[in-house]
Amino acid sequence: MSHSSSKREMSARARWQAWLPKLVLAPSLALVLFFVYGFILWTSYISFSASDMLPNYTWVGTHQWSRLWGSWTWGIALHNIWVFSLLYIVSCTLLGLLLAILLDQRIRAEGLLRTIYLYPMALSFIVTGTAWQWFLNPGLGLEKTMHELGWTSFSFDWLINADMAIYTVVIAAVWQATGFVMAMFLAGLRGIDGEMIKAAQIDGAPVWKIYLRIIIPQLRPVFLSAVVVLAHLAIKSFDLIVAMTGGGPGNATTVPATFMYSYAFSRNEMGIAAASAVFMLAVIAALIVPYLYSELRGPRS
Amino acid sequence: MSTTAPISRASMWPRIVLYAVLIVFAALFLMPLYVMLTTSFKTLAEIQQGNMLALPEQWTLTPWLEAWGSACIGLDCDGISGYFFNSIKIVIPAVVISALFGAFNGYVLTKWRFRGHKIVFGLILFGCFIPFQIILLPMARVLGVLHIANTTTGLVLVHIVYGIGFTTLFFRNYYETFPNELIRAAMLDGAGFFTIFFRILLPASGPIIVVTVIWQFTNVWNDFLFGVSFTSGENAPVTVALNNLVNSSTGVKAYNVNMAAAMFAAVPTLVVYVLAGKYFVRGLMSGSVKG
Amino acid sequence: MSFLHIDNVKKRFGDTTVLKGIDITIEKGDFLVLVGPSGCGKSTLLNMIAGLDSISEGELRLNGEVISHVHPSQRDIAMVFQSYALYPSMTVAGNIGFGLEMRKVPKPEREKAIKNVAQMLQIESLLDRKPAQLSGGQRQRVAMGRALVREPQLFLFDEPLSNLDAKLRVDMRTEIKQLHQRLKATIVYVTHDQIEAMTLATRIAVMRGGELQQLGTPHDVYDDPNNLFVAGFMGSPSMNLIEARIEKDGEELVAWVETADDRLKLPVVRDREALGAYAGRRVILGLRPEAITDSRSANHQDGIIYEAALNVEIIEPTGADLYVVTMLGGREVNARMRSGTAVEVGQSAPFAFDVARMVAFDPESEARIR
Repeated sequence: MSHSSSKREMSARARWQAWLPKLVLAPSLALVLFFVYGFILWTSYISFSASDMLPNYTWVGTHQWSRLWGSWTWGIALHNIWVFSLLYIVSCTLLGLLLAILLDQRIRAEGLLRTIYLYPMALSFIVTGTAWQWFLNPGLGLEKTMHELGWTSFSFDWLINADMAIYTVVIAAVWQATGFVMAMFLAGLRGIDGEMIKAAQIDGAPVWKIYLRIIIPQLRPVFLSAVVVLAHLAIKSFDLIVAMTGGGPGNATTVPATFMYSYAFSRNEMGIAAASAVFMLAVIAALIVPYLYSELRGPRS
Repeated sequence: MSTTAPISRASMWPRIVLYAVLIVFAALFLMPLYVMLTTSFKTLAEIQQGNMLALPEQWTLTPWLEAWGSACIGLDCDGISGYFFNSIKIVIPAVVISALFGAFNGYVLTKWRFRGHKIVFGLILFGCFIPFQIILLPMARVLGVLHIANTTTGLVLVHIVYGIGFTTLFFRNYYETFPNELIRAAMLDGAGFFTIFFRILLPASGPIIVVTVIWQFTNVWNDFLFGVSFTSGENAPVTVALNNLVNSSTGVKAYNVNMAAAMFAAVPTLVVYVLAGKYFVRGLMSGSVKG
Repeated sequence: MSFLHIDNVKKRFGDTTVLKGIDITIEKGDFLVLVGPSGCGKSTLLNMIAGLDSISEGELRLNGEVISHVHPSQRDIAMVFQSYALYPSMTVAGNIGFGLEMRKVPKPEREKAIKNVAQMLQIESLLDRKPAQLSGGQRQRVAMGRALVREPQLFLFDEPLSNLDAKLRVDMRTEIKQLHQRLKATIVYVTHDQIEAMTLATRIAVMRGGELQQLGTPHDVYDDPNNLFVAGFMGSPSMNLIEARIEKDGEELVAWVETADDRLKLPVVRDREALGAYAGRRVILGLRPEAITDSRSANHQDGIIYEAALNVEIIEPTGADLYVVTMLGGREVNARMRSGTAVEVGQSAPFAFDVARMVAFDPESEARIR
């Protein structure tokens, strides 16, 4: 290693080694910059353009946006997503927490029960929708079964009832995601220091009080994660609604995601579709960006 | 943590109630799957007159055969088998390539940090949380320009691009737990960038590879939005075909065939879940960012 | 010609300077220990020698060659890390041989070298195991084996014993010392443990806040500290630091120290010329606990013994010794006496001061007066 030529080779190698990591990362970054951020910009621009069936880059200001906000269907979609998200988040969180606490009592066959509670999460929303559509089918499903079993006055027509259809989607969605929330809470419960619980027991606190006053307050980060993840899933929900109700009956279960899809691909109103997509992005970004920021800023990095 | 106080003889009742509640919930969770399965083995006649919860009086495989090979989806009456293979054709390259990207990204973002590495990671990560409606319109056009509109290749590209965020997250969080001294030791030993990755990190990445592959497999297999937006007809993935089969308004609804088709669409991810549930759950957990 | 020359090396991270110009030279076969409290820059300096951290300013020369900008793998250096950094998926043999493999050493030679090193470290039976199956001490040996097998010009050790329990640490310390003597290797070793530094080093570099405080043999650093920091940092229990006043007493120079109820006069015999200038001023005297003892244990041959009766405040028997605490200059002073010396708390007892070992520091600059 005493020749100057070999030293120059070394520094060339050192330079190459210094550039390699960036070179390896570059394709991913390029893909993301183009397909995520470039596309966001493009769609945002389209929402201010005269585009209908084809992109038309003429600037029309907030024309598409006022059409969107003037749309009756969009109003229904917003109302539905609000109702759906609220019920979905609250039900999943409460049920998930309940199941997690129940499972955390040194249950025999805990593994099996956990597997059963969680398996719907592995299914496609389309499968879930298909199953529940059949299960709640007013003519042949649950209703008929109840009649067969002797409960002849039983009536369950929510699936085709415009006022109630959105709740059937909530039921199916809760069925699918509760196990996931349970798993999150269970992991949180397992992370709590057992000595604190023992101390509280020695202090004479009853079990329910220990949960309410000591354990559940410590699960706050899990609540936050669960709510953010569920809200994110709710706003993006598209598959389940298409499979279960197709947005119907009528417009009764239209949500922003199905609204956007139908305006983009069947009604040829690209401008309005783009505006609705930008709106969805804005809501999710307002939710996710602070969350990601706080998660990533932590001691890990 | 566990809060169970020692059980005295008198307090057996709460335990019994506890187990009863847990079992009722288990039954509720299993019900739809049970109904799906039993319906798929019943004849249409039995479905129309009968109790949804009852076992088939007369077991039949016909709905399964029909769903696989001869059910009518759109204008073709070839069952969902072709679409099932479409999904496989999409899943395999999409999973392998996006996992590879993720592994390299995670490696660079933890062990070869540079100024701004956090921003780059944030940019990549945010990409998997966006509502994909925002990219549907431009993506449809780009796929057209690349002449891969309505092809499985096009869907592979889409799934790779929007899978990178999660695969990068998984590998980054995993490699974060590897001491940096490992890399330094290898550098002193004379190993370069790729040697360190392939000889030292990758062989120790078994668990996270499994988590990532399962996560990506489940996501890609279960995808509907991209499938229905960018493909149609015989190029669609199985989820799109299932939806078309179930929600086509023509003819008599063959519920047993629908359920059998749904089972076909569900079986691959269910099998993965049953075989590797631990890793599936780990992926779900990391998906909510914290590892 | 020096073997390793660290020439005015500086390190900056943004606006903060973590190393403020370090100059150290050692010879072939030296065992240099970089010691100091955490954050003193010792690990950064070690990483810079390895090439794992870049040098902001200055130069590194190894065996006459400038290596400041040479890639780490080309510096002919091996390093043992604090966490051992064993490759988790490779066997012990794979770990040890990896560096040779990267250098394209043929397999038979490699296997022979691995075997030799394993024999030397008594880990032959572990060669097929994975790191996860090893105990802490075994991992430590493998990490050393990985460095030894390469037969580099220079070994670097980054706090290699800090993850071991106390007993094992002492054993490994002895073993490292033996290895150094047997292989005549040149070693740079980082630790925050001053006992490790004293026992292992041929040269000690005491660092603080990115600056070199003193470079010397263990004896230099212990008995001739450069400043108050080195005096306080090296040695356990640490050097007694006693406030005193220097005065001329005819031809003699003396230090007056306040006792509990009186004054004590200690003759100044070291650094008299320099201390002469301090006549009439306050200084801080430094006396090791073993330089204050009972009259039977005092070193009457080489030392200059001055006895005084002082009040005993606390007695701490350690078995081997008896530490007796008295008050001097308003502070507790530790004297190390023979075990079994008849002293009682609250009573007066004779203390023998070896004033030949007494050093003095300037209370403002904290520098040694000499």
